[in-house]
Amino acid sequence: MKIAMITEGTYPHQFGGVSVWCDQIIRGMQGYDFQLVCLVGTGAEQAVWDLPENVSSLITIALWGSPPTGPRAGRRNGFPTRLLRRLIESLLDSSEEAQGRFGEVLRQLFDYAQRGNLSASLSGSKAVRLLSEAWQDRWQNAEQPLPTVNDAVTAMQLIEHCLRPLSHPPVQADVVHVTTNGLGVLPALTAKWQNGTPMIVSEHGIYLREQYLHGPKLPYRWPVKALYLGFLRRLCALGYREAETIAPCNIYNRRWEERLGADPSRIRTVYNGVDPANFPMADHEPEEPTISWAGRIDPIKDLETLLSSFAIVHQSMPEARLRLFGSPPKGREPYLERCKELVVELGIGEAVTFEGHIDKVREAYNAGSIVVLSSVSEGFPYSLIEAMTCGRTCVATDVGGCTEAVGDTGLVVPPGNPARLAEACLTLLQDDELRHRYAAAARARALEYFTIDGAISRFDEIYSFLAAGHPLPTVPPGADGDDQSDIAPRSESDNLLPFGVAG
Amino acid sequence: MSADTLPDLPPVAQPNADGDNQRQMTVVPAQSPRPGGIEELCEKFVTVCESAVHPLEIAGALEFDGWSDRAVRKRYGVSDVFALAEEMYRRVPRRPAEPAPQPDAWRISKWRPALHGVLYGLPTVCFTAAAGLLAGPNALTVMIVALLSSWALSQALAYLGYLRLGQGVPVQAQRVLLVGLGAGLAGVLAAMDIVSMLVLVYDQEFIFGVGLGSYMLGATVLLVLGSERLLCLALAPGVLGATVFLLLGRPSHLEHTTWVALAATPLLALGLAVARTSRGAGLRRRFTQARAKPTELLSAADVRAALPSAGFGLVAGGLLVFPVAVGTPGHAGVNTGALLASLPLALSMGAAEWMLVWFRRYTQRLLRTTCKLRAFATRARLLLAAALLQYLAATVLLTVAVVVVATASRLIDPQWTALPQIAAYMMLGCSMFVSLLLQGFGSRIFPLVTCAAALVLEILSRDFWVLGQIMVGTGLLIVLAGYAAFVLGSAERHSC
Repeated sequence: MKIAMITEGTYPHQFGGVSVWCDQIIRGMQGYDFQLVCLVGTGAEQAVWDLPENVSSLITIALWGSPPTGPRAGRRNGFPTRLLRRLIESLLDSSEEAQGRFGEVLRQLFDYAQRGNLSASLSGSKAVRLLSEAWQDRWQNAEQPLPTVNDAVTAMQLIEHCLRPLSHPPVQADVVHVTTNGLGVLPALTAKWQNGTPMIVSEHGIYLREQYLHGPKLPYRWPVKALYLGFLRRLCALGYREAETIAPCNIYNRRWEERLGADPSRIRTVYNGVDPANFPMADHEPEEPTISWAGRIDPIKDLETLLSSFAIVHQSMPEARLRLFGSPPKGREPYLERCKELVVELGIGEAVTFEGHIDKVREAYNAGSIVVLSSVSEGFPYSLIEAMTCGRTCVATDVGGCTEAVGDTGLVVPPGNPARLAEACLTLLQDDELRHRYAAAARARALEYFTIDGAISRFDEIYSFLAAGHPLPTVPPGADGDDQSDIAPRSESDNLLPFGVAG
Repeated sequence: MSADTLPDLPPVAQPNADGDNQRQMTVVPAQSPRPGGIEELCEKFVTVCESAVHPLEIAGALEFDGWSDRAVRKRYGVSDVFALAEEMYRRVPRRPAEPAPQPDAWRISKWRPALHGVLYGLPTVCFTAAAGLLAGPNALTVMIVALLSSWALSQALAYLGYLRLGQGVPVQAQRVLLVGLGAGLAGVLAAMDIVSMLVLVYDQEFIFGVGLGSYMLGATVLLVLGSERLLCLALAPGVLGATVFLLLGRPSHLEHTTWVALAATPLLALGLAVARTSRGAGLRRRFTQARAKPTELLSAADVRAALPSAGFGLVAGGLLVFPVAVGTPGHAGVNTGALLASLPLALSMGAAEWMLVWFRRYTQRLLRTTCKLRAFATRARLLLAAALLQYLAATVLLTVAVVVVATASRLIDPQWTALPQIAAYMMLGCSMFVSLLLQGFGSRIFPLVTCAAALVLEILSRDFWVLGQIMVGTGLLIVLAGYAAFVLGSAERHSC
């Protein structure tokens, strides 16, 4: 069976969580023949992963660089003025009906792109004029910053770059697996429109949410940003609606997916998994009560909160230690410096060590009596499920899929709250019996739900159903997946530290 | 905390977003701004809210700040983060901040174009000195072949070098330039070989031709890599030798020395170009332990893309050389008057470079400040006219300066009869300026075709001497400027 896997800026050209996941899935599914379709920047990117043997081909689609050449847009191919106008209208109109029109327009643009030069049409003077006029019509008397000529040109160019995948021939496969929503669904949609190929949309972080978070860094004026992010929102919503199956890596993601119009009965959570062979049960705890943290040193991990909370822990337990494993990514070195300054300020320099990068991350988990994650944003963090597999009790912040990962085998606290984090750490460090009970439960939970074999068998099942043309067995609304609904946090259960309200 | 939570929120109308009009958006006055209320949250997230394009953008920011559905339910009594975000989107009107101004990519020092102009002009002195030294019957043919082949090859080489530099791989650019330098030299040698097979060529003429080619190619490499100082160094011996030789009235006992000085310039240019390119290229190779395949260095598509540049180099060279080659009525052979008249033109190319940058900077500003396409088109065309006029004014000034200096140093005896020749060169200079402008905006075929047609017309109308050149030059300028006015009125042409 042939699976087309679509990536955007990740596998096999970059390292990172999503790439690890792609590699695991492909290597784990030797019975399938994979075709990689990769959306890349200029096309000059080099693969940094050795491709598994069951990858039969690698197609790159460059979004930047020189545009795809095609027959010149001419009268013969029907210059798509009407189509351009409808595209622009569907993007500027925020009503729900416009979402439906957006889908239709995109499909017609695909039809056109297969015989005409879509790139030339989208960035040509006619498209710029249509957008500029549409803006002028809508902007009268508004206090908004008026869109300039440059805004119209920039916006149409951005749309042109985004839609380049429509000009490529659709991939031939039994199932198309998109590893993240967003531009990656475009090649999947073309295969679906032309050959009826079923598609799966997986999701780690929510694509649209990440785009919004990146929004303030975009170098564009508001009108361009609104049009561009509006396009991505429409596209993500279309991806969820057109996918036969949506396979997020945590239940938490459902909220955004359903918000954007995903049919809940099509959502099947497939948790990230680890290979238990790589994370054997840790044998003994460190002699001193130690808190371990592993990850990349990045503001998103909120180490300030972790350090502040440890200062509180240190007051009650002077023998406690905090060990931080990991290094800052390029450009984040000042953050590490800031953290080190904070350690000095808090007067905990004796008890805190920055260990730097570690080759075998399981040693980082083994080094702690407990493992802590203080992030302000997460998808479904590998570090938690790896630590759990090693049989370590975890304390995590209530972000992303952390609550689902930890379940009732550890403690979850609100993010950005040093007092609560310290309280949780002290509870566990002081109560050996509780900590050991949680540790055993954590390993059991990880082995039951978060193994790579588990993830692979669920994808195996989804692929088989979709390729055979069967819909997946329906699940009652509210439940997620057939056998995993029970691991979702049902309520503010007793296992979670009760949330108080600050202030 | 229930006292602090809002009562059930009134149903929030689906807010307009994504460029839709937000006119109806008004600030809902806080009934009683209580600490810890939504108002306070709006305050904290005011930048996000004011520039948000959709409530979901605020929801993302709230979640990133650590707010979960559970937390906002407890604190604000709203159903989830999305509902809270919608409420905040409704309360705070859009007042987006302008993005930080982008660095002005067209801000360059005035000195660089001026220096380029001098660097383009200086070799003319060498030509003038050398022209008298080349005595063979076919000296003119040799010079023309050498000039045209090296112009064509160096234009193509410059294109490829800038292409690689633009892709952000300076090491690749150096390697392409080094390989291209070798290939270009082979091309010039081949051209000279063919000439010497067809007509009688003296050794010194052959050497002169190859030297000319070496200089042009080496200078191209140095200019692409921004090593103007090295090029000055290379030019120094030839220009000094030629200047002294000309100022002293071409004394025959200095001929030999002048030849040596002239020969040093191409050798230096070549040597410095090789040194400048092989350093980076060699370093890279040592690191990667592998030589890139030639196809990785330069694809067939790259070479094809360089062809219009080569063609334009050939045609532009032809247009410049033609008046020199065709001579004056009754005086066949090298027209030294025309050769000197071409000096201001070479110098003016520095002014042309500056005006290209000037035009870019002003049109970029125009793009960012104009809201209507029609207004943009009109103003961009006015800027085009202004750029052309300023270039022309600079060229007139340079011509006057050259004539004054040359007269003062008794190199020429100015006569009014030279005016038509100067006028012809000015037309040609303006045409070259517009051609360069068009090429900068990605229009490479049109200038090539029109200039080629102009060259053919000049050759056909050679019996009209300088009058033919003026007429053809004027026609060429009108066609090119008209096309530029048409093309550069389109806003999307300016976005690069």
